Amino acid sequence: MELLKTPLYEKHVDNNAHIVDFSGWALPVEYSSILKEAKAVRSTCGLFDASHMGEIYVKGKDALTFLQSLTPNDISITKKGQLQYNLFLNDKGGIVDDLMIYNLGENNFLCVVNASNTDKVYNWLKTKKQESKYANLEIINESGSTSLLSLQGPRAVFVMEKIFGAGIKNLKYMRFTELSFKNKQIIISRSGYTGEDGFEIYCNNAFAPLVWDLILKYGKEEGLVLSGLGARDVLRIEAGYPLYGHEINDETNPLEASLGWVTKIKKDFIGKEKINNKRIMRKRVGFVMEERAIARQGYPILASGKIIGEVTSGTYSPNLNQFIGMAYIESAFSAVGHFVDIKIRDKFYKAKITNFNFIGKK
Amino acid sequence: MATLKFSKTHEWAKIDANIAVIGISDHAQKALGDIVFIELPKIGAKLKANAQFGTIESTKAASELYSPLSGEVTEINKELLNNPQWVNESPFERGWMIKIKVENSNEPSSLMDEAVYKEFAAKEAH
Repeated sequence: MELLKTPLYEKHVDNNAHIVDFSGWALPVEYSSILKEAKAVRSTCGLFDASHMGEIYVKGKDALTFLQSLTPNDISITKKGQLQYNLFLNDKGGIVDDLMIYNLGENNFLCVVNASNTDKVYNWLKTKKQESKYANLEIINESGSTSLLSLQGPRAVFVMEKIFGAGIKNLKYMRFTELSFKNKQIIISRSGYTGEDGFEIYCNNAFAPLVWDLILKYGKEEGLVLSGLGARDVLRIEAGYPLYGHEINDETNPLEASLGWVTKIKKDFIGKEKINNKRIMRKRVGFVMEERAIARQGYPILASGKIIGEVTSGTYSPNLNQFIGMAYIESAFSAVGHFVDIKIRDKFYKAKITNFNFIGKK
Repeated sequence: MATLKFSKTHEWAKIDANIAVIGISDHAQKALGDIVFIELPKIGAKLKANAQFGTIESTKAASELYSPLSGEVTEINKELLNNPQWVNESPFERGWMIKIKVENSNEPSSLMDEAVYKEFAAKEAH
């Protein structure tokens, strides 16, 4: 099957990107060096093409009630202009996907979901609508026509000011604004997947190359570096963010994934009883290798020769100069400071359990 | 005069008399990306041509290193273990990995010369 291309594909090719297949999309894994790109995002800023992400609108009088029934976080506390991290849960309390919900006001919500899950989530939402009694509800998949550019790093705000005006710096974290820019409707949120200050810009596909060029032009003076999926993965691991297919999947209980903060006791939602009744046997933790070695997804973790867990993500962190990762470990062994052995190609390497927010930011 | 030869798995061997220095090609380091970990054999290890002698990991993936020639390891680049980025920066000089005592003097002729290898690598990139 031919790979899907974002409207910025030609830009990536022009910039000598190393293009790979990422869940069916032809996207840059790196332009020059994953490590350089991941460092730039923490010191200046980096620009990512995240157009593969899915954008699904849920609107109508019943939209809020419908979404509330499928998610553990309380969307009713968000106001127009706020976005919220949330989960879509299945009947067993497992995670269908993690997502950002943008409250657009007037019973309209934008759900930004993982590229690998867009079709699954869209079909699932339609099924859930059919099963429900909600009549006043529209589910619209705009993923095919929407591009997403993500500008991340401490200098990102200065680039944004030059393009969109000084007012953009007043946009608070996890807030967004809808504006008309060169007569085109766009959404800008202060958010990202790196643990740095940053902005995400949603626009129509046809408009994306122009926005890309503007960011590149004004970003030059701020040390902007084009950044690929490789750097994006390093940065999200450094920030301790879960990635679907690694730390979370259809079987994951949000509580064992340390996503209890997303799971509100006061509201009712799908799978709630299942989540609360299941005994938590394992915990998501972070780890730092005591030696040089990358522990990758699926590698077994042992204590006194007995398997007690499994790696879900691992990388070399250029910002910490350490080999880090995330894993699930039996609760009894999951305390911060414990030492474990990770089996990498027939050898055992020592690692120390840590908090998974490695860079210590929000 | 040392001769430079290449294997189909993108290792190079610089052969001088019966000693061969071994590393990976510029093409290989570019394809792998930032190298962050290297595992090498012990001195004295007996290597077989085309058999695995170590592991190299970039931020993207782990790959096996294959010996282009048969022979006994006489030296390893110990400093490289703590400076794996040298493979990216200088694949033919500071990025050398091991030295072996070549067992069979006919074996090098089965490897590619630089010009042939370059064509081979260019084709593979497409």
